[in-house]
Amino acid sequence: MLFRLRALVALVLLVAVFSILSPAFLTAANLTILLRHVAINAIMAVGMTFVILSGGIDLSVGSIAGLAGMIAGLLIDRGLVLPVFGVVIYFQVWLVLVIALFAGATVGLANGLLVSRLGVAPFIATLGTMYAARGAALLVSNGATFPNLVGRLELRNTGFPLLGAGANPIWLMLAVSVAAALVAARTPFGKHVYAVGGNERAALLSGVRVKRVQALVYVISGLCSAAVGLVIASQLVAAHPATGEAFELNAIAAVVLGGTSLMGGRGGIGGTIAGALVIGVLADGLVLLGVSEFWQIVIKGIVIIVAVIMDQFQRRLAWK
Amino acid sequence: MEVAVFYSPGRRGAHGGFAERSDAGFRRVVLRVLAVSAASVLAALLLACGSHMPSKKTIAIITPSHENPFFKAEAEAAAARASELGYGVTVNTHDDDAHKQDDLFDIAVANRATAVILDNAGADASIAALRKAKASGVPCFLIDREINANGVAAAQIVSNNYQGASLGAQEFARLMGEKGDYVELVGRESDTNASIRSQGYHDVLDKYPGLKMIARQSANWSQTEAFQKMETIIPANRAIKGVIAGNDTMALGASAALKAAGLGNVTVVGFDGSPDVLAAIRAGDIQATVLQPAAKIARLAVDQAHKYLTTGSTGAPEKQSIDCELVTRANIDQFGLFARK
Repeated sequence: MLFRLRALVALVLLVAVFSILSPAFLTAANLTILLRHVAINAIMAVGMTFVILSGGIDLSVGSIAGLAGMIAGLLIDRGLVLPVFGVVIYFQVWLVLVIALFAGATVGLANGLLVSRLGVAPFIATLGTMYAARGAALLVSNGATFPNLVGRLELRNTGFPLLGAGANPIWLMLAVSVAAALVAARTPFGKHVYAVGGNERAALLSGVRVKRVQALVYVISGLCSAAVGLVIASQLVAAHPATGEAFELNAIAAVVLGGTSLMGGRGGIGGTIAGALVIGVLADGLVLLGVSEFWQIVIKGIVIIVAVIMDQFQRRLAWK
Repeated sequence: MEVAVFYSPGRRGAHGGFAERSDAGFRRVVLRVLAVSAASVLAALLLACGSHMPSKKTIAIITPSHENPFFKAEAEAAAARASELGYGVTVNTHDDDAHKQDDLFDIAVANRATAVILDNAGADASIAALRKAKASGVPCFLIDREINANGVAAAQIVSNNYQGASLGAQEFARLMGEKGDYVELVGRESDTNASIRSQGYHDVLDKYPGLKMIARQSANWSQTEAFQKMETIIPANRAIKGVIAGNDTMALGASAALKAAGLGNVTVVGFDGSPDVLAAIRAGDIQATVLQPAAKIARLAVDQAHKYLTTGSTGAPEKQSIDCELVTRANIDQFGLFARK
């Protein structure tokens, strides 16, 4: 039982250690900031959880975040230029968000089709789209940053910074994770994801539409990643094409820390959120303590390895 | 193929073999490994924390990754000066990731830092974080790189790239004997410093009719790219007499390529004053570089932060540029890590 809750145990331990070592840690202001930072990784990791539960992996999440941010930046800063008609269309912010999310879902769908229809190994398929989406993000602006995305009153496209302001990313994280937990545990689709990850052949024989499930999990991951890209661009009030580099590894780490098996079929959303919290608490706490950046990386690595060792034990105990 | 196998489902039965293990023995192994891992995490934490506990008045220093000695030098110079003045110090790196920088700013503000010394992660992408800090009453002092906004930072102190480039170009022309074929390696085209330095070089070099630029290539500040570009250029231009590079890492790459091609006696001039190039100047592989006074700028920023915190003003304009210095074999002993000794 203890092992099943290991991310929570680690979380409580870390919070206790940091509260003792730094008086600034357990303050309302710092905890709000902490949750804002956790939200970024958590939302991405929720999408990743579905993919890993189905037995896949998604390396393209960071690039999708970068691409979605750049598309939003382009639409707010420059608008959609249609040279054929000689017009420039500026969308209201909610439409900008919808378009950017749609772009993320489209890249996710490409991943899903590559994996399910063409039989490309998930690692390879998403490695490819990781490069392609990053390149596309750079192409949107030729490598430049879209600055000052506040919109203009006369174009009625103001309000973009609101998405990442204050506690909004935290509410978004809550909404996404509650919805995802319900989908995973209570819907037929959720059950099918577990079934496909647990034993693809058995799932197929019992009538699960395996290919559709395998494609849909990447669409969910793409949507979550695009949302993350939008939140970051909104927080920075600028869209930068390199946003989200190496995010895929943080997301995978959160999922694994949360007890989801990389082989699929076992785990869940709750664990992932706890895993993201562990990584976030660790990162912010070490910064608060003024620990050198190189040590921060070492400690993060040790924590992940320890978590995986515990995962092995949990599994051995489970088979007794 | 391995990857496909690794992620293929239905391999959970592989662990069934452990079922035969005895209960007691297995528990002991579990406990032992748990104890070892818990101890190693604690040890790492304790080792890492040391004496870094922030005190009441803290200056937060945020720079790009210390993997580059330039940023390490400026962060350490700023930290040393701040400690001298009696401040607590936190040193962090944003790895040129504006989002990570934003997180570090949040933490600095929550930690009630009294001032931030920043080498920023993007002229546009950093503005929002700086505005936020200003609104929370934390003044920011920028070093090395400017931002595309005025009145947000309390000071922006950078080295005078144009003046430095003129110095480097004058020495380059002198070393070349004011005539001959040369190659220019430019930094990343999207970076303003790359174009300012190139402009500084050409405003001097183009006045000499004997100097002829036979190739101008961007090597994106990179040593490997500079090496490859030079390898491509050399076979068709074996009469090269000089290479002028927009930074030191490209100068090192060019120098290595020239050496590999057996071309001695080529004048190579860089920009930055990195320890590697100082060593190369001593060895005679590179003839000159322009030293950016990173340490001096960092100390100056801390001094102005101190003045601002005590008197309410830095007593200097927001944008300040500090002159660079020429380093050659003749005066190299006067220079250390991005500073005059």
